[in-house]
Amino acid sequence: MASSRNISLSRCVDRVTGGVLALFALVSGGTVLLLLWNLFAGAWPAIEAGRLGAFFTDAKWQPGSQRDPQFGMVTMLAGSALVTVLAVALALPVGLASAIFHRFYAPPLLARWNRRIMELLIGVPSVIFGFWGLMVVVPAILRIAPGTPGQSLLAGGVVLALMILPLIALTSQAALQAVPSSLLQAAAGLGLGRARTIVSVALPAARGGITTGVFLGLARALGETMAVVLVCGNIPQIPGSLFDPIRPITSTIALEMGYATASHKALLFCAGLVLMLCTALLVGWISFRKNAANPGIGGA
Amino acid sequence: MITHPIRRSPSKGLDLAIALAGAFAALLSFFLFGWLVWDLVRLGLPKLSWSFFSGEVEDAGRGGGIAPILVSTLGILACCLGLAIPLGTGCAIWLSEFVRRGSAWARLVASGVDLLAGVPSIVFGLFGMVFFAQTLGLGFSILSGGLTLACMILPLLVRTTLTALESLPADLRPAAAGLGLSKTTTTFRLLLPAALPGIVIGITLGVGRALSETAALLFTSGYSTRMPESFSDSGRALSVHIYDLALNVANGSAMASSSALVLLALILLVNSAAVALSEHWLRRRSSAS
Amino acid sequence: MNAAALHISGLSVSYRDLTALREVDLAIPEGQITALIGPSGCGKSSFLHALNRLTDLVPGCRVSGSIRLADGTEVTDPQTDVLALRRRVGIVFQRPNPFPQSIRRNFEIPLKEHGWAKSDIPDRIETVLREVGLWKEISDRLHQNASTLSGGQQQRLCLARALALEPEVILFDEPCSALDPLASGVVEDLILSLREKVTVVIVTHHLAQARRIADHAAVFWTRDGAGTLVEQGPAERVFSSPQDPDAILYLNGARG
Ligand SMILES: Nc1ncnc2c1ncn2[C@@H]1O[C@H](COP(=O)(O)OP(=O)(O)OP(=O)(O)O)[C@@H](O)[C@H]1O
Ligand SMILES: [Mg+2]
Repeated sequence: MASSRNISLSRCVDRVTGGVLALFALVSGGTVLLLLWNLFAGAWPAIEAGRLGAFFTDAKWQPGSQRDPQFGMVTMLAGSALVTVLAVALALPVGLASAIFHRFYAPPLLARWNRRIMELLIGVPSVIFGFWGLMVVVPAILRIAPGTPGQSLLAGGVVLALMILPLIALTSQAALQAVPSSLLQAAAGLGLGRARTIVSVALPAARGGITTGVFLGLARALGETMAVVLVCGNIPQIPGSLFDPIRPITSTIALEMGYATASHKALLFCAGLVLMLCTALLVGWISFRKNAANPGIGGA
Repeated sequence: MITHPIRRSPSKGLDLAIALAGAFAALLSFFLFGWLVWDLVRLGLPKLSWSFFSGEVEDAGRGGGIAPILVSTLGILACCLGLAIPLGTGCAIWLSEFVRRGSAWARLVASGVDLLAGVPSIVFGLFGMVFFAQTLGLGFSILSGGLTLACMILPLLVRTTLTALESLPADLRPAAAGLGLSKTTTTFRLLLPAALPGIVIGITLGVGRALSETAALLFTSGYSTRMPESFSDSGRALSVHIYDLALNVANGSAMASSSALVLLALILLVNSAAVALSEHWLRRRSSAS
Repeated sequence: MNAAALHISGLSVSYRDLTALREVDLAIPEGQITALIGPSGCGKSSFLHALNRLTDLVPGCRVSGSIRLADGTEVTDPQTDVLALRRRVGIVFQRPNPFPQSIRRNFEIPLKEHGWAKSDIPDRIETVLREVGLWKEISDRLHQNASTLSGGQQQRLCLARALALEPEVILFDEPCSALDPLASGVVEDLILSLREKVTVVIVTHHLAQARRIADHAAVFWTRDGAGTLVEQGPAERVFSSPQDPDAILYLNGARG
């Protein structure tokens, strides 16, 4: 009978395993740096040439033009912002109402199915939403407002809203579910009705979670490409009405990267950087608020 | 019990209003989902046949089938998982078992992964194009596309694996330590098998994410519709096919619908599998303890 | 009685800013059963876990002082091979904690880790399962998940698993307190059967049990916010005529 063979071997193996895993972890954590570095490298020619200012001062976006090249991103920033806000504005009431229904009114079976549908819907590829928008939403808008192009801010907003609806509904559900039942019992003990309890007790208590969902929705809508590129019309302009076409930043990159050369390409990388900065701010804000709420946690 | 009828009635009205609004919203979601599926089935089903799955792409996608597209999609998925699974699980294991919780390195890695989770997919596309296709010289290829997607689903895998490891019974680790088991043995023979359900669910969700992705593939795996012969060939993913047919090919919508229907079916299958798996394992855990 | 399996001197254990145990000196006699008793929170588990460095698992836990094995190995020395140490000093916990895998795997994993030849393992499993009286009950379902066993069986499995590694010392942290009286009696008899073969250190809240099985007894008490050893010696003397006022109260109170 043997024992303590290679205990020191075990130690060596542990060292090696730990080293390999640490390497994996560093690669995983470092990917974002690599990504940033490559974006910067791609954008550098434009930054070096001092085009970044033109981003905000030029009126138009015509980077390929020989006679009068212009590099104004404002129209596209506006397009992104408008369609994102519109999407959240449409999705929030519906998502929140369905979450309230799910938490306080729906019989268990219905609630289960509601949740299940949302979980399935959250996985539907955005290109399918975009395609469906093109086939269904755009014609519907044409019927409502004949004479407009159909592909428009409104179409983009509706399609994006549909896409982030499950996200907002599920996060709101989770937030409402997390309201301590002792709080609801206290409300019941005070003789508050169900509606009063929801409005005055549950919603305020769940506000943090719901806000997180809204921010996630904003970040998701802002970063979305496929759903908007197919339905927004892709004309870089400040829209005068809901029915005017727009062109968000993501669409610009998707549409032009294929043929862009040299300085034009660098500008598209700048656009990518701007996009990344905006979503990072939104996501960063979420984790900042989370850490402020419970500072003990955090870390790994 | 004394109630005050005048004070109660407005609350009753409010209650009814909330109930109606909520029911309406829930129904609306059901309805929209049903509408979307119904449209895809209505538009896409007529063209679905065996030859659709087995045929070459013809006439820029207006005719023929999607066999090369399916093969490319699988190839991209394979590359993606081949990189993301070892990297993601390895990173999670390191964070949860091999490094002190809350140490500077752990925080750094964790926040790097979190940041990655917030990057828009088109930006991943830009990154993949520069780094994998150009710097590493992989070109527009299935490999480039798969590796780009791997970076994209990495945070998801790290998170799910981490959660799975952290929710293991607390007495498992002391039990192993008390027997003088090395960290390697503890991790790979005890913890990973026990955490496997959660890890598998995470991978399944990752597969769903990878299958749905389009923007990150536009400039990495390319548009070629030929049957790929190796991972270094360019290949068009199913989602990119739908996008191209819808945007760039006149009269492409019928075939786009069929492709979209196939993609939707795949995604729903994968995601339902994840839901079913997690429910199954939840039930087993709760009945075991 | 000069042979000590463990020689402990000046042992202190602290968790961040809390001192759980202060300056304990104790010799654990070889081949005998030493019972550690005392009220809740006086540092018995901390003491026990320091003996095979399970305290390493707790972030912020610091151990100082000296613990020497019979051959002079210093447990607290960071250079000491902790895996080999834990093979020599095994532990059975309060709650049975079999690995959620097959019964056979529960033995194979540690035995392989510590270098047993593959061909010896089945025999080893049979021997220790016989030793804890489980062989007849479960020999035909070694492939089954260990969590399907009853609580008492699980605890005996954990004891067998620890014994399989041929430890010199086995530590028990309230091994019976999660079991029903019958299963508890079975485990108690098993511990008694280990006398002479292995050195046993057992923490128990069950004074009658300590009295029945212990050769030696050590009473811990919380003083000035930290656990200390207040009384130790042959079990009979400690139980019949304790010297320390707190120990007298504790032993009498429990008696009455
Ligand atoms: N992991 C830990 N982190 C921080 N403090 C701890 C930890 N474990 C124990 N303590 C503290 O150390 C002191 C001694 O605890 P210990 O578990 O050793 O007592 P005990 O005598 O075994 O008690 P019991 O009879 O209840 O098991 C207690 O005050 C306890 O709160
Ligand atoms: Mg204890």
